[in-house]
Amino acid sequence: MSDLNDLYQETIIDHSRRPRNKGVIEQATHSADGHNPLCGDRVRVQLKIENGCIMGIGFQGTGCAISTASASLMTETIKGKTPKEVETAFGKFHDLLTEDQPPAPDLGKLAVFSGVREYPMRVKCATLAWHTLRAALRGDGKAVSTE
Amino acid sequence: MDNVHPHDVGTVLDQEGVAVRTGHHCAQPVMDRFEIAATTRASLAFYNTRREVDTLIAGIRKVQEFFS
Repeated sequence: MSDLNDLYQETIIDHSRRPRNKGVIEQATHSADGHNPLCGDRVRVQLKIENGCIMGIGFQGTGCAISTASASLMTETIKGKTPKEVETAFGKFHDLLTEDQPPAPDLGKLAVFSGVREYPMRVKCATLAWHTLRAALRGDGKAVSTE
Repeated sequence: MDNVHPHDVGTVLDQEGVAVRTGHHCAQPVMDRFEIAATTRASLAFYNTRREVDTLIAGIRKVQEFFS
């Protein structure tokens, strides 16, 4: 078993204690709810898209340190990006969590989640906010579930 | 334990060699009724020893230190 500090890196603990962009977005253009029935975690992601770019993003909900930190870091990462860029970032992030290979060099702060790979049960904690974001971008109004 | 999610408690205790159950325990309706997202459950039985209980308590202290 790897060390706890590999999983709960300092940035993760920081973002779980003081999540960024947590709150309601006024005049959101897109929104979706996500649920992880195994944990009981729920998250709502709201977006404000202008001229094809995500200009505002906020999340609400409760979750473990990993899922809260992931939602928080996700909001920081994707602000100003286009939906297509979000898909690319999600692909790299997902590979980081599941593939046994060096992280993509342009992952930035998201690389702190590299320790999650050793804990397969926690991958869904780290991806819940991202799946919910993608559902919001699809805009079909369906809630996502990790099960 | 305030401000620590059961799944985080479970991961730390697991590292200490203590198995607990975390989450919904397949009891969503009652969890909804009491507005609890998830809990941690230590399921003690007659074969558990005093030493194992001490290990659990030491593990809980570690959780508090780690996330405080």
